[in-house]
Amino acid sequence: MPPVKESGSSGSPQTMEVTTQHFHGLDAIMDELHALFDTWESDGALLSHLDANTVQLLRLALHEWVANIVQHADFADNEPRVTLQIVPNGRRVKCIVEDNSNGFPFMKELALRERALEPFPERGMGLLMLDAATESFTYAHSEDGRQKLEFTVSGDKESWLNIPF
Amino acid sequence: MSFFIEPVTRDSVVVQIGKALDFRNAADFKAAVQEQVRSGVRNFILDFTDTGILDSTGLGSIFSLYRQVSPMSGQVVFASVSRPVQVVVQLTRTYKVFRQFPSVDAAREGIR
Repeated sequence: MPPVKESGSSGSPQTMEVTTQHFHGLDAIMDELHALFDTWESDGALLSHLDANTVQLLRLALHEWVANIVQHADFADNEPRVTLQIVPNGRRVKCIVEDNSNGFPFMKELALRERALEPFPERGMGLLMLDAATESFTYAHSEDGRQKLEFTVSGDKESWLNIPF
Repeated sequence: MSFFIEPVTRDSVVVQIGKALDFRNAADFKAAVQEQVRSGVRNFILDFTDTGILDSTGLGSIFSLYRQVSPMSGQVVFASVSRPVQVVVQLTRTYKVFRQFPSVDAAREGIR
């Protein structure tokens, strides 16, 4: 099922239009996510205030998170549902990704991956790359029991992941 | 998904990465380059001209190739790096490891 789009203004003078996309199932979610970015970049409307590198960092952070959901999330018997909100704000953009999986201990996993990172690692860089690409993030259960990742990507942050070589 | 691999010399090839190297096709990439290593190839030019996605798993598969060929004096170099790939290269500082060339032709010259 193709993603469903909603949009609306937050009403804040500092905040531009909020765009919301709903994804059902995981089979095509990655293609759908990148198709959205292709559209946003080509029409220039949603992300026009961000420089090109910041848009790519945003795309990468979202890709890594969705890849984590596709590969590792446990949805039990529920149909996977993922909601993405994009909130542009000056040279920053806030993203909120909610899903109906059972979640996982993100901070514990992140600390584990940091400690376990070997030279030229083949696996285990996804969450670290998400962490490096973002200015800040939180991960928590939302009030309705869904899992909620919220992060900000900024054009003003110098980002890097310290991989041992 | 298959990768187009073009021989350059007896022990060097160009691998066209195509639109994406990520968790969905990294295993295919590994299999394709493994076959090349088994047949004696040691130098790999990765052509990122058309690449819109390089994720952590894709980068990990390139690290795996590097770990394999570098002890045999082999090289892995990046050519015609697109902006999405350049962002990953900068984020992970892999420019310290993989030489970059502005074009595939420049890379062919550079690895001789």
